[in-house]
Amino acid sequence: MHLEIRRLSKAYGTAWALRDIDLQLRSGECVALLGPNGAGKTTLLKTLAGLIRPTSGEIFIEGAKRSGETARRARIGILAPGDHLYEQLTAAENLQLFLALYGGTKHGAIDDALAHVGLTDWAREYVGAFSSGMKCRLSIAKWQLLDPGLLLVDEPYGVLDGNGVDLLEEYLAKVCRGGGLVVLATHDVARAAALCSRAVILKRGRVVFDEPKRASWETFFSAVGEFAPRGEAWPS
Amino acid sequence: MAILRQAAWLLWKDLLLELRRRESLLAMFFFGALLLFIFNFALDVERNKATEMAPGLLWLAVVFCGTLGLMQLFQPERENHCLEALLIAPIDRAAIFVSKACFNLLLMALVEVVVFPLYWVLFGVTAWDRLPLVFLYALLGTVGFSVLGTLFSALTLSARGREILLPLLILPLIVPVVLATIRGMDAILRNAEFAEALPWLNMLIAFDVIFVTAGILVFDWVVES
Repeated sequence: MHLEIRRLSKAYGTAWALRDIDLQLRSGECVALLGPNGAGKTTLLKTLAGLIRPTSGEIFIEGAKRSGETARRARIGILAPGDHLYEQLTAAENLQLFLALYGGTKHGAIDDALAHVGLTDWAREYVGAFSSGMKCRLSIAKWQLLDPGLLLVDEPYGVLDGNGVDLLEEYLAKVCRGGGLVVLATHDVARAAALCSRAVILKRGRVVFDEPKRASWETFFSAVGEFAPRGEAWPS
Repeated sequence: MAILRQAAWLLWKDLLLELRRRESLLAMFFFGALLLFIFNFALDVERNKATEMAPGLLWLAVVFCGTLGLMQLFQPERENHCLEALLIAPIDRAAIFVSKACFNLLLMALVEVVVFPLYWVLFGVTAWDRLPLVFLYALLGTVGFSVLGTLFSALTLSARGREILLPLLILPLIVPVVLATIRGMDAILRNAEFAEALPWLNMLIAFDVIFVTAGILVFDWVVES
């Protein structure tokens, strides 16, 4: 999966959420998308998914200019905790529905996916009764089943317990190893720095930092310094 | 046909949710029955007049109930941003439209199955033999209403004051379908020659074909917007 973003801008009225974004994201990369609140991280993720139409600029997926159809064929996934699950369907029914819509017919795959994220006992329970962390685990199970080429992850750390974080990071690493592309938007700079192979920092809709991991730690720390929480434990 | 398989899965999901939420169908049944009771007490219609007035009064109830159903049509997709999940899925977006229109049609048809005989009972209409034909016309009108309503329900999803906007947009556009249905039902109930009712039947079929085709073609654009 190769993604190229050319001079991408998005305005809400007179406010610019994204301005002239130029990025090339390659297969196997895990890209940390960092930035303070209002930097445009979620807008960029949703624009990449084709859920928001950009004001100007273009996105190319595997060299083809993205239309709604090409984006869908590329199997783009969004992992946003608590989102994209029907609350009055059970965990198994949610997975069954999306697996069917994605054309999957893996026999027994739903049970395996639920077991992997520790939700076997909750398979027949309505998602509405789940905690935020359990919904996030179910989303991980969902995307494990659907196997997207590009996975966009929006701030997953706030709701997951330690084991859940391990599950997520193990899964994201697996996607990248399999030739997929992961874009992880988060405020957890330390975790992102430890997990991702590249960091992109947005401020007021512009890219202010874009470097592979450890290439320029001083620049990275100075770029994130303004919005990283005090006492953040930096990776060695 | 992939689109039909996808629409069938989405319809399964909507039926399952309705079975568990019981929001739309119960409200529509209750509202439809309530309207007929109000008409019955307020109008004090004689038996022979009741047959004449049946198409108009019944369709007033059908349109109100249908609008109530349309308000709730995309409610499951509004919660947890589930519409986004459907929009990024590698499916034909027309499948979402087809499933939602079929779901609304099914709910309205169920309401009609209860409300029409209720009118016959409450107003003392004796023409029970004509009820199936009346129901056929109503069903064709309901197809047009559901299809157009689904399109506008999607169009107003993120609009402010959609509860007001939705009926204001649908009702003027649905007038040709409502008129054709009422005139067709009227011809049937007057026991007129079928030749008198046939043009309205043809018109309804034509409207339905046009609305379904247009809906499938433009739904992608509507949800993108």
